[in-house]
Amino acid sequence: MINLQFEPFLYMLIGSAIGFWVGILPGIGGGTALALMMPFIYKMTPQEALPFLLGMHSVVATTGDITSVLFGIPGEPTTVATIVDGFPMSKKGEAGRALGAVLMSSLIGALFGAVFLAFSIPIVRPLVLAFGSPEMFMVIILGLTCISTLSGQGKRGLLLGMMSGGFGLLCSLVGQDRQAGILRFTIGQLYLWNGLPIIPVVIGLFAIPEIIDLAVRGTAIAGDVSFGNLGKGVKEGIKDTFHHFWLTLRCSFIGSLIGIMPGLGGAVAQWVSYAHAAQSAKTMEERAGFGKGDVRGVLGPGAANNSKEGAGLIPTVVFGIPGSTGMAILMGAFFLLGLVPGPDMLTKHLTLTYSMVWTIALSNIIIVVVCLLFINHLANLTTVRGNLLIPFILMLCFIGAYTTNNHIGDLIVLLVFGGIGYLMVRFGWPRPPFILGFILGSLAETYLYTSTTRYGADWLYRPKVIILFFIIVAFILYPFIRGKKLLRENEEPGEDQI
Amino acid sequence: MKIRYNSKALMDLCLIAIAVAVIITALKWPLKTALFPVVVGAPVILMAMADLLLNLFGREKTVEKQAAVDFKLSEDIDQTLAIRRTLLASAWIIGFFLMILFFGFHLAVPLYVFLYLKLQGRERWRISLLLMLSAWVFFYGLFVWLLDTPFQEGWTFKGLRAIGIIG
Repeated sequence: MINLQFEPFLYMLIGSAIGFWVGILPGIGGGTALALMMPFIYKMTPQEALPFLLGMHSVVATTGDITSVLFGIPGEPTTVATIVDGFPMSKKGEAGRALGAVLMSSLIGALFGAVFLAFSIPIVRPLVLAFGSPEMFMVIILGLTCISTLSGQGKRGLLLGMMSGGFGLLCSLVGQDRQAGILRFTIGQLYLWNGLPIIPVVIGLFAIPEIIDLAVRGTAIAGDVSFGNLGKGVKEGIKDTFHHFWLTLRCSFIGSLIGIMPGLGGAVAQWVSYAHAAQSAKTMEERAGFGKGDVRGVLGPGAANNSKEGAGLIPTVVFGIPGSTGMAILMGAFFLLGLVPGPDMLTKHLTLTYSMVWTIALSNIIIVVVCLLFINHLANLTTVRGNLLIPFILMLCFIGAYTTNNHIGDLIVLLVFGGIGYLMVRFGWPRPPFILGFILGSLAETYLYTSTTRYGADWLYRPKVIILFFIIVAFILYPFIRGKKLLRENEEPGEDQI
Repeated sequence: MKIRYNSKALMDLCLIAIAVAVIITALKWPLKTALFPVVVGAPVILMAMADLLLNLFGREKTVEKQAAVDFKLSEDIDQTLAIRRTLLASAWIIGFFLMILFFGFHLAVPLYVFLYLKLQGRERWRISLLLMLSAWVFFYGLFVWLLDTPFQEGWTFKGLRAIGIIG
């Protein structure tokens, strides 16, 4: 087993340790951290780099829950739902119980996701092998549509998401064309012949806007919130997880199902699971307790945002369609390591694919044990002043970007895309579709070109292409149908209103 | 009908301009090179135009409702102060880039950390110097010593070397 060999295990430990802090600090997201760490994998083998990156990424949601519970500030965008009941528990003096519950449910969720990934690989394998270039092109479009639909609110959100994805595809055009060797939009710069480098683009797009916002807030990273003794009730929280074991498992399953769908990601998984946990209330009184510190409201999202990690690897590894921003960046790492997501990962690199399952499981077990041991001390970091953190985060951003090509152009790309990222955030353009479009652009172009060259326009009539087309249409229509349904529900008075 | 000019419309216009430029340039290329840019560019123009029209003529309430499920900038800070701090933060970021350009990473990293902590963070001398040293040790130890990353020299040193002031 790769993960138990010395070097991969060491890299996994290092990655998990970084992920541990990244999850706790609200200023840096899991995706940003992945992007920052990508320059370090150049000299690593895939057997070392994947445990390092995945070990880091898979524990971020686990420790991100800690900040959500303690301060009501999400450590990660995928840990927002934990706040709803976790923070009121902290305010009631049950922070230890909430942390015990969220950490244990996170561990169960992560293990469930890893098992889900392991068992899904043989099932999806024949499906993937039956997909040719036309189907793969349609799957890319489907991925972009999914992420566009869900990364914005309503019909307008879909439009903005699609525009953002299209912009990402346009940016991927820069560089030497693979088909004819023609230089596209290189503005006479040799530096751009290989296209815009992924790492500076991703760091600029994701880290710079968050750094600017941290500077604008001008407070400590977790604001001015103080905390008391957190150690109390941890055991009770762990017991709660096993007391509501089936709920935890059901929410893990929901997280895995959502994780497997490209574009949905942890943010959706946690809210659906929270809704499911709230639905599990048997009486009106129980239901009323949600949002005021019910431990089940912590268990559901805690399990789901971790179980989606393993499942989220399925579309990434098997179809080359990342399920989330983090997975999109992780897929960038695949390419840097010379791995092409798709059928090869299920044949030639199957051992590597299974090592990912073990990475998710092992790193989460280790991190949860560490968290439970040092629960009192680790939360102190969130009170570090933003002014102390900013120069260090910026230093990491600049060095991280520069090490891509060791060229000053990397820093210019970082700044340009930092500006673009800020404007996108400022004007409500979702960034995940952009990054998906940017990363998948060259792959989509190759599939489109191969399909057209081989089949002419006939590829459009292939049965699987038609099925995928209708699925895409369904995703496009989804916000419209949902909007009308909500409108109808609002117009019809409820029973209690009559 | 009332037209509402706003910055969102400007973003749409920029995207339209980019997509139009892509298509016009692509038309000069052979089909296999131009296929993808045109296939992507055309729908982007249509979508950006639709968004532009919604921004200019759509109901204000609908326009305001649009929000990305993504990171959001803090809204609880006075707008004038937020703009000032945003400009200041951007200036520090660009300043770091210029420092790297002129002095190279070796000097820019400790200098930037110190200046930021002292001038922007208004930290004490001891903390500023200690963190500056930590940043330099981290940078030099990890990137230069351990990873052997080649960092370019700054323009200042290149210039001084060119005129023979330093060897």
